[in-house]
Amino acid sequence: MSMHALLEWIESTDLSTAIREGALYYPIIGGVHLLGIALFGGMVLATDFRLLGWAMPRIPVSDIVRQLQNWKRAGFVVLTSSGLLLAWAEPQKLYRSPAFWVKMALLALVGVHALVFRARVYGNADKLDVAVTTEARLAAALSLLLWAGLIVSGRLIAYDA
Amino acid sequence: MYDPSFFEWLTTSPWANAMNGPEWAFPVVQSVHFIGFAFSIGTIAIVDLRLLGWGMRHQSAAELAAALNRWTLVGFALMLITGPLMFSADAVTYHNNASFRFKMTVLLLAFLFHFTLHRRATRSGVLPLAAKFAGGLSLLLWIAVVAGGRMIAFV
Repeated sequence: MSMHALLEWIESTDLSTAIREGALYYPIIGGVHLLGIALFGGMVLATDFRLLGWAMPRIPVSDIVRQLQNWKRAGFVVLTSSGLLLAWAEPQKLYRSPAFWVKMALLALVGVHALVFRARVYGNADKLDVAVTTEARLAAALSLLLWAGLIVSGRLIAYDA
Repeated sequence: MYDPSFFEWLTTSPWANAMNGPEWAFPVVQSVHFIGFAFSIGTIAIVDLRLLGWGMRHQSAAELAAALNRWTLVGFALMLITGPLMFSADAVTYHNNASFRFKMTVLLLAFLFHFTLHRRATRSGVLPLAAKFAGGLSLLLWIAVVAGGRMIAFV
């Protein structure tokens, strides 16, 4: 199946049509996605700011990393599933949107970030209670850049006609 | 009180012209608006989860609220700069938009609640039930603000 045929098939599914043409599905799913940014994004921000020493300096790193972990996982699931539904509604438009591909590239980099830093930074929070390593600060700074880039590229998708 | 010429004037202001100028201006300001509410609503949500007893239980609500307050306020500042900028770009339309009016009403309530009862609920010695109520209501108010904002583009 060619890419073109695949995208056409996605758009012909009932789910895609319903989200695209129903009056409420699209704004509601978009609203959930936005809430995911506010809640999940805020937690990523809080963790990274703690690693950088900009927020909550008196609270141990391990407390913040561990206690927010499940909430961040839940937020990630909400963001990706609502994002997938939004993409399902108009795959042909997204395929032509440069901002969409920038966002996908940044998402891939989020995966690389996890592979590189997860074990030694986020999974090693007890050690960071003693002293935050340069590596952990680097992980936090890169995470913040990716985070901001995902928001901006995501927003720009709506303006790529 | 209502003066349509004020909103018309707003749309011709220099900052409205800047917003309506280059194609990227509006989405970029909108992105900063999103980043602003991730700062403020995200940090408030962490305190709310603690008030509800759903998370961050190693810390007290008072400790979290004090440690995060600065970043909540940074978020408010970002939102209150970028929001009016976007409003100015198309002031008459937004002013007449039902979702926009809903959002402003809920936002006012959310601000009032945040700086009064919510703040008091984070202090020690508050009844657990009162803390839970404050955390839950705060989350609901901010969720309504975001939802109202999203609907502006669809009504």
